[in-house]
Amino acid sequence: MKFDMDYIAHHNELSEFNPYIKLFITIITLVVTLVLDNLYFDVIIFVIMSVVILTIAKINYKSYLKFLSLPMAFLVITCLFLLFFFGKGQVIYETGLWGIVVTEGSLHYCVYTFMRVMGCLPCLGFLALTTPIAKVLHCLGTLKVPKIVIEIGLLMYNTIFIFLNEIDTMQKAQETRLGYHSYTTSFKSLGALASTIFLRSLDKSETLQFALDSRGYSGELPVYEPKKED
Amino acid sequence: MLEVKNLKYSYNSNYQALKGVSLKVDRGDMVALLGKNGAGKSTLFLHLNGIYEPDEGQVFIDGEELKYDKKSLLKFRQKVGIVFQNPDDQIFAPTVEEDVAFGPLNLGLSMEEVQDRVTEALERVGMSGFEKTAPHHLSGGQKKRVAIAGILAMKPEIMVLDEPTAGLDPQGVVDLSVLLNELNDEGITIIISTHEVDLVPNYANKVFVLVDGKLIGEGTPKEIFSKPEILEEANLKVPIVTDLFQQLENEGFDMQGDYPLTIDEAKEKFLKLLNKN
Repeated sequence: MKFDMDYIAHHNELSEFNPYIKLFITIITLVVTLVLDNLYFDVIIFVIMSVVILTIAKINYKSYLKFLSLPMAFLVITCLFLLFFFGKGQVIYETGLWGIVVTEGSLHYCVYTFMRVMGCLPCLGFLALTTPIAKVLHCLGTLKVPKIVIEIGLLMYNTIFIFLNEIDTMQKAQETRLGYHSYTTSFKSLGALASTIFLRSLDKSETLQFALDSRGYSGELPVYEPKKED
Repeated sequence: MLEVKNLKYSYNSNYQALKGVSLKVDRGDMVALLGKNGAGKSTLFLHLNGIYEPDEGQVFIDGEELKYDKKSLLKFRQKVGIVFQNPDDQIFAPTVEEDVAFGPLNLGLSMEEVQDRVTEALERVGMSGFEKTAPHHLSGGQKKRVAIAGILAMKPEIMVLDEPTAGLDPQGVVDLSVLLNELNDEGITIIISTHEVDLVPNYANKVFVLVDGKLIGEGTPKEIFSKPEILEEANLKVPIVTDLFQQLENEGFDMQGDYPLTIDEAKEKFLKLLNKN
């Protein structure tokens, strides 16, 4: 199954739920989790938010696991570094290699960081998986986030899908001609892909500029307020 | 209403894309601009609302010369709307309604007016109900419709479409030509670039043929498709129906110089020939 976060955000039980409340809940739970820095609370918030995501928003558990697994590689690497290279205090385990040791402090550090991230992930997931980006950006707009940030987000949001599509097509075209058959060809193909995608992006950005100008773009994206539904 | 005079444009010193193009389009016309890939069709189109500034020559709209300052550009871009070949290049907003609203908002209209225009434009192209949809969840044909709605919402007098049928399925092509015919009946002048000749006689009342940055022919579809030398130079063919009748003539049927261009004309002609024998 392909993991399409955007599709999930548009098609779940909480998509139409007031985005301000969702944003508020996310920020509050994030802040509280970070400030409290308490292992029990981390577990509790993880369980509560996961339950909300799975049962109230009714998001498929496979998609949710996929979402959780995405940052896992970073998290594990970070925690390993913390475990072996940071912290002071009593040595509790000696690796015997170049004097690398695990100390009480580093273990504490590692566990707390891991749990804190695990607590925060579902909080972010709650927003990211249930709210279409357009709505998040609108909220931020009314909350007086600088316009330039929102405009960049807005333009990026749509172009990123075109970009990904383009990469996908090109990669398939390369694979068809055995571009990823061996290590050396893989490196070559990937290099060619990267440079082509860069040139093509420049090209696309020019066309997008023309299209925007054609409709009277003045350097600022106007904000549309949809009709209130009766 | 739209006049282009001796337009020249070069991308760089080695390559002149337009070598002095002059043409005139009247109000209410439905014009087809024919030419092979790289003939300069898109380049010409980008001159019509001032995206490109020509090296030489002028563009006139409603008898007024196109100027390149900010205020006149806004005015001319409202009058002349361009629908780009690839809707992905044009649609940028996260939802359909926001994209359609983009043009009217730039014109400085009130929010209620913009809302009305968005509803109207989406209804016009048959995309009501997709207001909140993300564009990348739409099919190619639907994206094209949204792109057209985005231009319609600006209430242009002239609508320019760069190869609008490219990438559409057969039903999509038929639906699109029906829509364009309706818009034309409602008074919008339409200019279409294409190299699919079969449909041209169905909608166009005027045809221009562009080859290597030069205009080599203009006239009604009937006139253009009866000049093999022009078609050959432009790498084009006659519509498939016309081809059939030209081959029938070689078999000994006298067509009296009148070759049908569309299915309807062909039907009439067949019935006539059958009744005669």
